[in-house]
Amino acid sequence: MTTSQIMKGHSLRVSRAFVLRGLMRMRRLPSLMLPAIIMPIFFVVAFSGSFASVVQLEGYGTDKAVNWMAAWAVLQGAAFSGLGGGGMTATDLENGFFDRIRTAPINPYVLISGLVGYSICRAVIPTTAVLIISFAFLGAEMPGGTLGFFMVYLAAIGVATIMAFFILGIVFTFKSVKSLAIGQIFMFSSMFLSVGQAPLEAIEGWLYVIAKFNPISHIIRMCRQGFLGEVTWDQTQSGLIAILCLTAGAAIWARTCYRKVDI
Amino acid sequence: MRTRNFIPQTLQLSHRSILGMIRQPQSWAPSLFFPVLLAAVYSSQFCKAVNLPEFPYSDISFLDFILPACVIQGVLFGSTNSATDLAGDIQNSFMDRLLSSPVSRPSILVARLASAFVYGLVQAVILITIFYIFGANLTGGVPSALALMFITSYLAMAVGSFLLAMALKTGSQEVVNSLFPLMFVFIFISSAFFPVELMDGWYGAIAKWNPLTWVIDWTRAITVEGFSWSNLVKAVGVVSLIATAGISMATRQLKKRIAALS
Amino acid sequence: MKNPIHASDLSRTFGDLVAVDGISLSVEKGEVFGFLGPNGAGKSTAVRMLTTLLKPTSGQAWVAGHNVENEAGAVRERIGVALQDAAIDPLMTGNELLRLQSVLHGIPKREARIRCGELLERVGLKIAGDRRVGTYSGGMRRRLDLALSLVHEPEVLFLDEPTTGLDPTSRLALWEEVRKLNQEIGTTVFLTTQYLEEADQLAQRIAIIDEGKIVREGSPSSLKAQVGAPTLRVDVWEKDFTAAKATMAQFGEERPARKGRIAIGLAAGTRGITVVLKALEDEAIEVQHVELDEPSLDDVFADATGRRLEGGEKTG
Repeated sequence: MTTSQIMKGHSLRVSRAFVLRGLMRMRRLPSLMLPAIIMPIFFVVAFSGSFASVVQLEGYGTDKAVNWMAAWAVLQGAAFSGLGGGGMTATDLENGFFDRIRTAPINPYVLISGLVGYSICRAVIPTTAVLIISFAFLGAEMPGGTLGFFMVYLAAIGVATIMAFFILGIVFTFKSVKSLAIGQIFMFSSMFLSVGQAPLEAIEGWLYVIAKFNPISHIIRMCRQGFLGEVTWDQTQSGLIAILCLTAGAAIWARTCYRKVDI
Repeated sequence: MRTRNFIPQTLQLSHRSILGMIRQPQSWAPSLFFPVLLAAVYSSQFCKAVNLPEFPYSDISFLDFILPACVIQGVLFGSTNSATDLAGDIQNSFMDRLLSSPVSRPSILVARLASAFVYGLVQAVILITIFYIFGANLTGGVPSALALMFITSYLAMAVGSFLLAMALKTGSQEVVNSLFPLMFVFIFISSAFFPVELMDGWYGAIAKWNPLTWVIDWTRAITVEGFSWSNLVKAVGVVSLIATAGISMATRQLKKRIAALS
Repeated sequence: MKNPIHASDLSRTFGDLVAVDGISLSVEKGEVFGFLGPNGAGKSTAVRMLTTLLKPTSGQAWVAGHNVENEAGAVRERIGVALQDAAIDPLMTGNELLRLQSVLHGIPKREARIRCGELLERVGLKIAGDRRVGTYSGGMRRRLDLALSLVHEPEVLFLDEPTTGLDPTSRLALWEEVRKLNQEIGTTVFLTTQYLEEADQLAQRIAIIDEGKIVREGSPSSLKAQVGAPTLRVDVWEKDFTAAKATMAQFGEERPARKGRIAIGLAAGTRGITVVLKALEDEAIEVQHVELDEPSLDDVFADATGRRLEGGEKTG
């Protein structure tokens, strides 16, 4: 006869436990996080350096490449971080620990929210690292002030959330660590096929159409606006709508795919 | 006896190495996917950059400008494969079995270098074909294309030799794979995707002195201006210096590993 | 459904492969039920269905009074599971894993701290509790796995090949723990194993599974009795041979034996040995040596399937 009672509201405890577990694993195995920090730092340095002159073209709205590239690098880092919950789950699926989690009486939504929560916490780290490098060493500017920084973090959290749900769906479907590569390809593609590195005014051809309609472009604009000028509701609104819609879609995807690992 | 068997053994080991790489699509697919993606994106995204006042070439598309770099990027990404497989042989003790057999020692290394070259060559052909289909222009026609293929394959082998040295030193696939991001750094801090003349400050200074910049610039001159023996010799010369350094390191590491077994 | 475990025509297919083929079983409260079979027989697949990890293709099962498909949550509240591969995270410590398991089962923090300490002590991991599980030996991992399955004091405990890969000492320790759980706390235990001795030692009832089907079911002794009576072998002096043979003939049919030895199939079973020895003593026959061989579960398996449990060739 069981003596434990399932507490009402223990869902929050369970979600929190998964977030803490992820952060603990990250602390004990720093190599889990290093790529997500180093790559975006590399991107902001390399792209600000290599494409320094490109901001002379129409549409960039700044004379410093770092002001343009920093936002994109932040969101690359956030997207990488979003893969974190999926990576932990893929490892759990491969080594059998996920079965132990499944035999506990927890709601799938609670489990998924905990994994996504972990990814969100991860995203704060590369975001902060890129901002430090950009402002301390590359001469970035934030005319948008505090609100501009807020938009950066909001966009990063949004992208991390979207990627986290998305990659969980992939992992639930393929049940292997190797399937993370599919998520990485999708992530790279969606980030590159956007206004990440150039404004619409500079882009021509097929990429113009894709970048224009890619919802990630709206999120990048929301993130970048503070670097280029004042934060406006117009640019914020479209980014928020993109985040909400993509999050909802990715969450439904993750929950649907969860049925492939559980009855 | 070892000298007489060197060529057949090298061929056999090279064949094994190449087959191994072909049978792992997860190894070669990214090295085709990313260069094509970047070429497609950049040629559209930075198409107006060719109009910048200090852009070194006029009347070319941005795709023509980055063509050599995209091919080089693809073969450099693929250059980790040979070293990763060698590290795998060490981890699963196949290397021990090889070294305890009368196989010619140099053939072990030469086979890996040869496979890196062949692999790079195949990648170069595929990538050049793809870019050509999508509108890239090779001034100088077939001689320029052949020169591009040769330089990029040779570069894959040269850079691969450093990775082979790392594989022999550490015997770890994980360590070799972790060097993959260095390829990104090596490529981006160069004239691969933008002229160094248009780069500022310390970044531009590093890019100017990156040997890859020289290789890319001379190769680009061949594909944009037309075939030239002097540009070919200069590019091959720099790659040869890289290869000499890398192969020396790899040979030293192989000797250490052999000594450790005896 | 009164019994803690009840399955009715439970089946599971993977494409063309029929892993479990219409099994029906019922485990009573407080019982240790053994599920014995070779590798690939369908044991783990059956356990995964009963523990809500795998959806049955057909049939139904109820565990702790709830349907495994429609009421999976309720089943999970009441079962503990230790699967074939010790399912643990090597980066966490024993303590951390137990605390996580406590949270997953909604155990209040204070109660969890006490219970985790007690469990670690019970499975002999108190000292290693703050070490990362990645440093544990195979036996330690199994014990931790068992502790994890007990955190919430389940009504029903599922153990899937719990001693595979363990050394003899660790195996005996685990058997002792299972006995305690069953005898002291009254936990119903569903145990799968490929080890004859393990089923024999621990289970009150056994189902033998082969190629997805249950081929025999019953207590170890009744299963063995189905195969035949135990063989009693007695050595006597030559002068007493004829008299001893006549005396022993009352207790079972004669069986082949070497010169100077009398062998019978002991109809009364192992309990009958004292009666036979008393009868020989009454006839003043001096017994030099006694041997008693029971049929083994391997004999039971061979009788049911035509081959030995541990990969032998078909015997019939």
